Amino acid sequence: MKPRIAIFDLTDCEGCEVQILNSKFIDKILENVEFLNFRLGQKINRWEGFDVAFIEGVALTSHELELLKKIREHSKFVVALGSCACFGGIAAINNFMDLEEAKKYVYGENADKIESLYVKPISEIIKVDFMIRGCPIVPEDFERVVSDILAGRIPREHTRPVCMDCKSRGNPCQLLKGNVCLGPVSYGGCNAPCPSAGMPCDGCRGPLEMPEMIAELELLKKVAQQDDIIRLFRRYAPMVTPFKEVAGGKL
Amino acid sequence: MIYDEFVTQIEGHGRIHFEIVNDKVVEVRLEIHEGSRFFESFLRGRRADEVPQMVSRICGVCPVPHNHCAVQALEDAMGIEVSEQTRMLRRLTLSAEMIHDHALHLYILASPDYLGVNGITDLYSKFPDLVKRCIKMRSVGNRAIEIVGGRAVHPINSIPGGFAKLPTRADMRRIVKDFKSIMNDCIETFNTFANLKYPEFERATEYLAIDDGKHFPVYAGRLVSNRGLNADVRAYRNYIKEVFKPYSNSKFCVIDGHGFHVGAIARINLFKDRLNPIAKDLLESSQVKFPSDNPFHNNLAQALEMVHYAEEVIRIAEELAVKLKDEERPKQTKDGTGVGVVEAPRGVLIHEYTVDKNGIIRGANLIIPTGMNTTNIEEDLYALLSMNIDKPKEELKKLAEQLFRAYDPCLSCSTH
Ligand code: SF4
Ligand code: SF4
Ligand code: SF4
Repeated sequence: MKPRIAIFDLTDCEGCEVQILNSKFIDKILENVEFLNFRLGQKINRWEGFDVAFIEGVALTSHELELLKKIREHSKFVVALGSCACFGGIAAINNFMDLEEAKKYVYGENADKIESLYVKPISEIIKVDFMIRGCPIVPEDFERVVSDILAGRIPREHTRPVCMDCKSRGNPCQLLKGNVCLGPVSYGGCNAPCPSAGMPCDGCRGPLEMPEMIAELELLKKVAQQDDIIRLFRRYAPMVTPFKEVAGGKL
Repeated sequence: MIYDEFVTQIEGHGRIHFEIVNDKVVEVRLEIHEGSRFFESFLRGRRADEVPQMVSRICGVCPVPHNHCAVQALEDAMGIEVSEQTRMLRRLTLSAEMIHDHALHLYILASPDYLGVNGITDLYSKFPDLVKRCIKMRSVGNRAIEIVGGRAVHPINSIPGGFAKLPTRADMRRIVKDFKSIMNDCIETFNTFANLKYPEFERATEYLAIDDGKHFPVYAGRLVSNRGLNADVRAYRNYIKEVFKPYSNSKFCVIDGHGFHVGAIARINLFKDRLNPIAKDLLESSQVKFPSDNPFHNNLAQALEMVHYAEEVIRIAEELAVKLKDEERPKQTKDGTGVGVVEAPRGVLIHEYTVDKNGIIRGANLIIPTGMNTTNIEEDLYALLSMNIDKPKEELKKLAEQLFRAYDPCLSCSTH
């Protein structure tokens, strides 16, 4: 029997799902798995019996919280898809700001009619078996995880920092140019698109297991103001230690 | 089960609520449930050069228009005048985005309605050639964005003043070659969609697009409509009003209290004379007639646009393959408020920012194509359902969803 896959998205940009469709092997994936639930891709969807559920986005409403719990109940293996699901993603910036003021700024006098929760990585709400990092994910990671699952293997994490990807692409180093780059403390495996495009790494794949944070912060302080450093950590992975400690600092 | 009430095969979470009493449609509501991420609020305090990358996260389906609209608005606010080369590269990436995005919408999201299949897997097993064509066109569109912007989903290096790293002339030759290889697929896409049967329905409405006086709409211009609107985009607040409705996280836009339509159908209705030659010939030699007041024809307009924008990418890349050169990025010369406007695949997109003298964002307002279309969708739904009132409820539901999908809505964008 083909593995029965579900792809769910909560509040987010759906960029990670688009990356799935961008996979070079999308035709192979379509042939080898059965999508039980994939709202973006099909009309008829089922609500139980998932071998693997991929969950993208964050829960911003109580309805989305309920949905998360329900998905967990009906899935054997749950994968957090992308930095929103893994680390709170870009919406988690609001955790460090005044949410009521934010609502008023956007919705004016109707602010109280808008429900919005504190943003958490989904692993703080339900048990997550594996994370596919990145904002957006790279299609190769999705392919790897699906083929591991097809072969009955538990997928594995990348363990190298972005700097290794950067070196293998022969990029000039952004830190040496005086730009704030989170490459040394962030999970690689993305093939370093940001430094390769002439921009520093924003750490979208989250902190390495044992990052050299003290050394990194020392370096960053030489090239940037405290405020800019804090804001940088409040980007795509602000709800996970040790990035969270810097992100929660006072501006 | 309560969850699957959401309309499938659209970007984001929304449902259509309608009520019929004694053979009369008494209520239609477009309920958009996607959570609000408050982008406009949290951008305040950020440096201007951080914004284009961050706002692309509003939508992973159409990140390029958000990115380019933001840079244009920030440049307007900071008094930065960019080179013609920069504008050409932006027109190129926006056009390439239309290819990948229209292909995704037309084949994966919309065509199942017309072909009577359940979705992507079903489509692949019954019409593998269509899916393969879609994959090929999308990958070519994506690769061009990747070459110029550093990545297809969430471009990296496009910032106020231009690009952190410029592509090369060889890159441009590669893009020309890539796009020439899909020209035929784009034409076949038009032929495929020209031969589908669209529900019979018409409702005269206002069509809005941008006009730079020269190009088929894509990057910058005035706001123009078929009902005589012709305004500087900086004055958009005088014309486009946002209304809050308690059942929706997305705001509803109106002009003079009524709905209006943005997107491919609006662009073709208003500017079909500016289409590139192959697209223009194709339209003239077909049975298809524009301007059209049938909102389902938005899909047909998108298919025609794929030909036009592919020609556009080739035209620009051919020119840059000869004259692309390194240049300095101009810097901030003033502070204040600026407005940017581009055509996203789904229609007119407006970003407005206030930037202080240190280049820090102090205010932001974003008006998104799907937000612009919401009122018109409700008005169309009301008319469509009223017209078909004697049909069984299941069929009404199907028609309503098909209409909603034909607009190519993006709900993550509309709530942002
Ligand atoms: S992780 Fe990034 S790309 Fe993926 S859904 Fe979230 S914002 Fe979009
Ligand atoms: S640019 Fe960033 S990621 Fe690349 S080597 Fe330097 S510090 Fe590491
Ligand atoms: S270089 Fe850094 S910011 Fe860019 S994709 Fe990789 S981890 Fe994310």
